[in-house]
Amino acid sequence: MRSEVLKVLTTRTAAGLAAAMGGLVALAVALHAYGLPADRLATAEDQLDFLVGWGAVLGALFASLLGALSFTAEVRHGTIRPTLLVTPRRARMVLAKAVAAAGGGAVLGLTGTATAVLAGRVVLAVRGLSWALGAADLALLLGGGAAAAALWGLLGLGVGTVVRNQVPAVVGILAWVLFVEGILVDTAPGVGRLSPGALGQAMSGLRPETLLVPVVAAGLLGAYGAAALAVAVVATNRQDAP
Amino acid sequence: MAPAQPRIPADPPPGAGAVVARHLTKRFGATVAVDDVSFSLAPGTVTGFLGPNGAGKTTTLRLLLGLARPTSGEALVLGRPYAELDRPARRVGAVLESGDLHPGRSARDHLRVLAAAGGIEGRRVGEVLALVGLGAAARRPVRTFSLGMRQRLGLAAALLGEPELLVLDEPANGLDPEGVRWLRQLLRSFAAGGGTVLVSSHLLAEIAQTVDRVVILGGGRVVADAGLAELAGGGQTLEDAYLELTAGAVS
Repeated sequence: MRSEVLKVLTTRTAAGLAAAMGGLVALAVALHAYGLPADRLATAEDQLDFLVGWGAVLGALFASLLGALSFTAEVRHGTIRPTLLVTPRRARMVLAKAVAAAGGGAVLGLTGTATAVLAGRVVLAVRGLSWALGAADLALLLGGGAAAAALWGLLGLGVGTVVRNQVPAVVGILAWVLFVEGILVDTAPGVGRLSPGALGQAMSGLRPETLLVPVVAAGLLGAYGAAALAVAVVATNRQDAP
Repeated sequence: MAPAQPRIPADPPPGAGAVVARHLTKRFGATVAVDDVSFSLAPGTVTGFLGPNGAGKTTTLRLLLGLARPTSGEALVLGRPYAELDRPARRVGAVLESGDLHPGRSARDHLRVLAAAGGIEGRRVGEVLALVGLGAAARRPVRTFSLGMRQRLGLAAALLGEPELLVLDEPANGLDPEGVRWLRQLLRSFAAGGGTVLVSSHLLAEIAQTVDRVVILGGGRVVADAGLAELAGGGQTLEDAYLELTAGAVS
């Protein structure tokens, strides 16, 4: 387990992911804060959905990339072989990676939401608009964002162990989060709100009129995360090492 | 079935040997990569694992090390299937490909990662880096390493847990003559200390100077399993014997 944490910390990948995420969050928040008319940014709900929510969305996305890369990068560079020689039991290896992916994911989720709050406050202040979010909103956003990103790290690990190949894994996750889920939630909200991205957003208190309440969403996303781990164990057990 | 050649012994006795392969077979679709391979390695010996490209050497090593599952048959390492060993990195040191390194990670960090996962004390990292002559390059990212340096780093990883068994796939590739001699002495002294070595190679002249026994694969089958003296001697070199044996195995 310490080994998996060391793996994350001894290359620049995690720092690169965090930097890219921070930049994207700040950009998305700033663009919306400048671009939207003032009456769309007046209430706490609007500011959550259109501004700081980007921190939760992108935090979860990057957490899943971190989780997927924790396996696909080992396949790509061949380090999966030494890893399996030291830890030949696949379930143990998957659990160690799960701890690192969830921990790293939580850090990314927290960083993403905190960056969004910071950028949102700055840009709203520059425009002379008032900040409507209270302490309870922020606590839910940051706590829910971190917890959802941790679980998304597990989902990413599941995808990585099944797909194995880095580029398709990353493209698949991006396509799902950026296109498929958005379409699902808009066209069939009854089904769409059960999708993992919508559950993650629900955990941060976004779009309460469409999405599930945070606690229910957390339970369901937790079940998805556990299922992803089970899939990862089965997939790594059934397939020969690359 | 044709009568077995005299050089192929009967089944290894159950439980004996640091490494035991029993009727190992691995199919990929219609291709049979490893075909009913059986052999046994006595503790304290160095065995050369030879065969043409595609003969099934690497696949056999992967089966022995639990990286792939045999279609049928059994592979035992130190008396058990590899995956059932407790802390395998402290008992078996193995290198399959010298390129199995993350290019952005330093030599030292690679070994720290493996030591942490293998339950090996951190001080061993510095010791094995010095042993393989990479002390000065320890903090450089692996992308700056030559092939020979990668081989040395792979060996350092294999030696990290002070194992009883070394399994090495073409460890001499990319080593300079001095490195080749160093490797030979390392393997000999490892065996002299009671360790067992299984080493694959195409460098027959080098193998002839290093090993006690050879197991030769051809077309996925064992075509020879004999002491070096039985194959090479009486005016015949290991190369002569190897080419004669493997020519017969190609269908």
